[in-house]
Amino acid sequence: MEVILKDVWFSYDGLTYALRGINLGITEPGLYIIIGPNGAGKTTLLKIVSLMMRPTRGAVLINGRDFWGLGDEEKALIRRNIVFVHDRPILLRGSVKYNVELGLRIRGAKGGDVIHYYVSRYGLEGILNKPTHKLSAGQAKAVSIVRALALRPPILVLDEPFTYLDEVRQELLLEDIKVRVKENVTTIIATHYMYKELLDISSNIVELTYGEVIKFIRDFNEFPMRSS
Amino acid sequence: MGEPLLSITARSLYISSIAALLAFTASMALSLYVSSKSRRAVEVAASFFEALVGIPTTAVGLMVYMLLYPKGPLGILGILYTPYAIIFGEFFVALPVAFTLMIRHVYNVRELVRELILSLGGLERQSKVFLIRELSPILLSSYLTAFSRAIGELGVALIVGGGIEGYTNVLTTAIAIQTSIGNYEYAIYLGLILISITIAIISSLRALGEYVLWR
Repeated sequence: MEVILKDVWFSYDGLTYALRGINLGITEPGLYIIIGPNGAGKTTLLKIVSLMMRPTRGAVLINGRDFWGLGDEEKALIRRNIVFVHDRPILLRGSVKYNVELGLRIRGAKGGDVIHYYVSRYGLEGILNKPTHKLSAGQAKAVSIVRALALRPPILVLDEPFTYLDEVRQELLLEDIKVRVKENVTTIIATHYMYKELLDISSNIVELTYGEVIKFIRDFNEFPMRSS
Repeated sequence: MGEPLLSITARSLYISSIAALLAFTASMALSLYVSSKSRRAVEVAASFFEALVGIPTTAVGLMVYMLLYPKGPLGILGILYTPYAIIFGEFFVALPVAFTLMIRHVYNVRELVRELILSLGGLERQSKVFLIRELSPILLSSYLTAFSRAIGELGVALIVGGGIEGYTNVLTTAIAIQTSIGNYEYAIYLGLILISITIAIISSLRALGEYVLWR
């Protein structure tokens, strides 16, 4: 699936713009990394790419068609290809089990084995019946990531995916992202920190600065680097 | 000795629970509507209703009386001095309480739930179902507070109900009337019943909510 942002502007309050004239294409499978300081508009950009927010101006083209001009049913079908994971995890009231199964339940699908695989991989078996309001920030983040990975989406969008996770889970997530790259599906990440291992496998890195400038990075050493 | 305690208690429960349910339903609809607008709309509406919470119930009773008076705008309904008049009046007493308790929660949770459901490939209409589910503890709280406010108020029940024995006499009006005629022992019993009912219903439903809703 091809996602193209064409001269996208976005304003939350109608007075100032969080994004200004963004042109970006997710045209080939692979790993896309968006980097930039706080308030650069990374999350806003990801939510627009994930088809959750409508641009104030400009168009989001899905396989050449303007997404926001489509009917509700068609929009819903297209949205099923893109899964977004929030920076601060959003979990619903209920158990961890209820939350990790939520995506599949919403889609009316079954996927017990896939869920079991990721639950076990991220060490969540022991807390499956725990209410989500009793989870630590790291556990909550892991639940939101497992919930998204279990859907095996063609496009996975991760906003600051390594925040709150302990080192073991960060490493697991890095491996899962690498697997997705090998499987030739798309992953889009917004992050403050660049992992060297991600750089090695990503050919699409863009910098966003205060929603105004988007440039394709060539010199990676300009940015804060973290090794896993 | 007046009307049996059980009869007054049952009438109080019936009238207040219906008034609270109507106020709760209206608050829910209003909250969903206002929260779909802007944060500013939410703040304006919340401030307005917060101000209404402080209005004495006697003032509400007077306004409702004016509405239901035979020559008033709703006089044609002919419900003054009936249980329906008390339900109608207590609706206005309970509405601001229920609304102010839920509006900010509805606004804050609504967008989060919508984003989550869309981010997982769900439909806009599915997000509304999950929103109600997510808000259920605060909705329960809101209903219980509206009920407490309704069952404990005197102004409306006395002015538009009249405290007619066997017909519109509720716990609060009975306490007021029995005290005024010097029947203190009976009034104390009524007071104890009122306090016990309020504490029992609210604590048991809250405990049930804690047990069921947060699991």
